[in-house]
Amino acid sequence: MHVLTGSYALDALDAQERAEFERHLQHCPSCQAEVRGLRETAARLAIARAAQPPAQLEQRVLAATYRTRQLPPLPADRLRRDLGQTRLARLARLARLFAGRPAADQPDSSHGHRSDRRSDRRSDRRSDRRAARRSDRGRGSGWSNNWLRSPRLVGAVAAASVAAAVGLGITQVSTQHQLDSAQATSAAIAKVLDAPDARIEATSATAGGAVTVVVSALQREAVVTTRGMPSLSSSRVYQVWVMSSSGARSVGLLSSTAHIGELLASGVQSGDQIGITVEPSGGSSRPTTTPVATVPVTA
Amino acid sequence: MHDMSRPEIRAARPDPGPAEGEAQDLAFLLAQVARGDHQAFEAVYGQLAGPVYGVVRQVLRDPAQSEEVAQEVLLEVWRSASRFDPARGSGVAWVLTMAHRRAVDRVRSENAGSRREQKVASETVTEYDDVADIVETSLEGQRARRCLDSLTDLQGESIKLAYYGGYSYPEVAQLLGVALGTVKTRIRDGLIRMRDCMGVMA
Repeated sequence: MHVLTGSYALDALDAQERAEFERHLQHCPSCQAEVRGLRETAARLAIARAAQPPAQLEQRVLAATYRTRQLPPLPADRLRRDLGQTRLARLARLARLFAGRPAADQPDSSHGHRSDRRSDRRSDRRSDRRAARRSDRGRGSGWSNNWLRSPRLVGAVAAASVAAAVGLGITQVSTQHQLDSAQATSAAIAKVLDAPDARIEATSATAGGAVTVVVSALQREAVVTTRGMPSLSSSRVYQVWVMSSSGARSVGLLSSTAHIGELLASGVQSGDQIGITVEPSGGSSRPTTTPVATVPVTA
Repeated sequence: MHDMSRPEIRAARPDPGPAEGEAQDLAFLLAQVARGDHQAFEAVYGQLAGPVYGVVRQVLRDPAQSEEVAQEVLLEVWRSASRFDPARGSGVAWVLTMAHRRAVDRVRSENAGSRREQKVASETVTEYDDVADIVETSLEGQRARRCLDSLTDLQGESIKLAYYGGYSYPEVAQLLGVALGTVKTRIRDGLIRMRDCMGVMA
């Protein structure tokens, strides 16, 4: 599918293939990013062929605008919804990772757990598609259906993802630049979640809330997701670290009020730990408090 | 190895988009157009009528038909300006994607018959290099042509036939006598190379 980005950007697909590719595109952030760049490129091909339009065209078009009613904007939350859909698809993937876990593996205990997603990839993919379709249709009861095989945390992740998509986090994204970074990060995160060697670790934080880490040893990257961490006063933030024997390296800050947090950690390797500490707002250069959660990284 | 204090969260590259200043103006203008501002629309027309008409005529060839389609596209910009979403790409790309697609759809709906096939058979690739009265263009247009010339023959021909010729990739494959998969790959590789050549980021 991916190789069609170019033909799609040049309108060189027939109607059927175009429709199929567009369906694929909705759930492929990296294709979206590529199509976007290739479209900009194709636009330059048009600019290279700019020609003087017939003189009468301008008057005709301008006159027509006075007789033509304009379309109303799409519902106000459209941008958010689009981003939200990406996020929903991603969280569906995350939930699917959980779904591969042994049922006895209860996520609420305080030590880390892992599972290997390599089992049964094909049916995973099917359920991903089902999940994606479901997220298209809306956020109804479908979330709790059978594609989620491991009940508790999965349900929670799924429910939280709905909350996230509808409200938190996404509403903060407003300017184009923020949208762009959100999309780029989103694509990078999707890449980790889709990595063939992705492994998942989950733990709960000492003061409440859950931390999930999806690691790809091949990509040396980890996606850190938090859910339901207690709110902090405005002078404190959660800071995420990659901790190794040689010290701690900051991954970034989590909003102290968002219900769901998500960060991408690069340069992660087996033996490291992902840790979260409470720090003064603005963050610290090294951890100054005992971590509220640590998750071991194993490859 | 790592700077311990530097956050490692991946920051997105800022997106300079197409002609930066111009594109921003265009996004602004389109927002004005969405509110029914006729003057803003005239400015948009001034920026885009040339490329719109040019690309439509490149694909359709027939001047009268091209004028008709260009008019439709430009009026569509007026009509649906509220649907332009700067988060998804530049205004230039939004409008020119619309223009190209309309032209291509027109060609395909008309060419269920044999006329096109005959044309396919007789068409030569070089035709796309010498269309008359191309407006002497922006630096950007010149750059695009240079970048297009820097591709391998097969990449360049595939892209020209697909975009300027309005052919589907199976038609392009047939014209060039190469496998479908090869054309798909050449189109993508070539476009990526052009993108990098022109410094488009997305």
